[in-house]
Amino acid sequence: MNQLRVALAVARKDLRSEWRTRELVPALAQFIILALLIGNFGFQIDSRNASTIAPGILWLALVFAGLVAFGRTFAAEREQASLEAMLMTPASPVAIFAGKALAAAALLVVCEMVLLPALSLFFGMPLSGAVVAAVLLATVGMAALGCLFAAVVARVRARELLLPLLTLPLWIPFIIAGGLAVQSAMGLPGSYQQAIGLLIDFDILFVVLTSLAARFVLDE
Amino acid sequence: MAVLLMLLAAGAIFVYAPTDALQGPVQRIFYLHVSSAIAAYGCFAVVLVGGIIYLRNDSAVADRFARAGALVGVVFTTVTLVMGMLWAKPIWNTFWTWDARLTSTLVLWIVYAGYLLVRRMAEPGRQAARLAAVVGIFGFIDVPVVHFSVTWWRTQHPGPIIVNDALPVQMLGTFLFTLACTLVLAGVMIAIRYRIETLIDEKQSIAEPVPVAAGHRAEAGPEAVP
Repeated sequence: MNQLRVALAVARKDLRSEWRTRELVPALAQFIILALLIGNFGFQIDSRNASTIAPGILWLALVFAGLVAFGRTFAAEREQASLEAMLMTPASPVAIFAGKALAAAALLVVCEMVLLPALSLFFGMPLSGAVVAAVLLATVGMAALGCLFAAVVARVRARELLLPLLTLPLWIPFIIAGGLAVQSAMGLPGSYQQAIGLLIDFDILFVVLTSLAARFVLDE
Repeated sequence: MAVLLMLLAAGAIFVYAPTDALQGPVQRIFYLHVSSAIAAYGCFAVVLVGGIIYLRNDSAVADRFARAGALVGVVFTTVTLVMGMLWAKPIWNTFWTWDARLTSTLVLWIVYAGYLLVRRMAEPGRQAARLAAVVGIFGFIDVPVVHFSVTWWRTQHPGPIIVNDALPVQMLGTFLFTLACTLVLAGVMIAIRYRIETLIDEKQSIAEPVPVAAGHRAEAGPEAVP
């Protein structure tokens, strides 16, 4: 109970500081629009192939927006050296980590609220509950892993270089399952049920693992 | 000795083993390709076990083994990938296809190359070791997950044929011999690298006195997870 309160307090703090500065979300929203623009120029898009290309652009934009978002998770803490202060409090590192991951996931969801309508606007991708569910489920696991590795690289020299290198391979399962879910939700071949089941399995697996690993990363 | 064994294995591959009826001499890649893949898995298992032991009790020995295992494992994964591509070109008529096993081997390579980069970029010492241990453990878990998730997606790579008696005796003998030699080679390489890592650590501890007494957080073992 207490752990949950700590996690929520940390998440609230992060979201409030984002709300006051309004730095990350507008930047990410622009980033996403730019990614769509690049997708438009990179592929020859017309009304026939737009629906087959849109899922790919969705995941590319989401993954790279996610990398930027998670790269910032510990930036403010590092600049103010406040992470050490937080760790000195009796709050458990796992709860602090969970709070940061929650806040980062919430920010990513906000980005998705820009990305998905933009995709359906520019690429004519049908927006259904099935697509939204797949993206949200993938976000859970991506946030857990992304936040863990953001914490890992926070104390490393070339963190901007390393975060994508470490995080992307671990996100691949979510992209495979999420990609398949979105494709099948849009009428391309594939089993939506199976893909969603797999996403849920991966979410459980990696959330448990990251919460076990968090104390080794944040501790000290 | 390991070099001698590898030469013997090469002899067995080229002289003793019969030429494949369908694929011709190219099939001889098989022996080293599969052996080095298995050796790479073995090396990464060393990284996993070393990482877990390190996180449990800060053992410098375990960490050095993990470092050595990661480097040797990346070498063997590279060998596997390159030989696989050379084999795929004449047989599948392409160097690369996004097959389950190819994809997951590539991910494997990327994960442990990332591991080596973390080691290089983090300040040497306990922190780098712990961060790398986490990376190593997650990498090991990620690879079967990737493999599983692409398997029901699409696959072209032949399944394991060794277990179900599909190989003639001479081929099987050659394969097992090559496998044994490759594993010995991997073991020797890890041992050599372990020695190098020990020297690096010693050099570091001479250059600057150890900042933190080792084992000072012995009281907070993994059991203390709240």
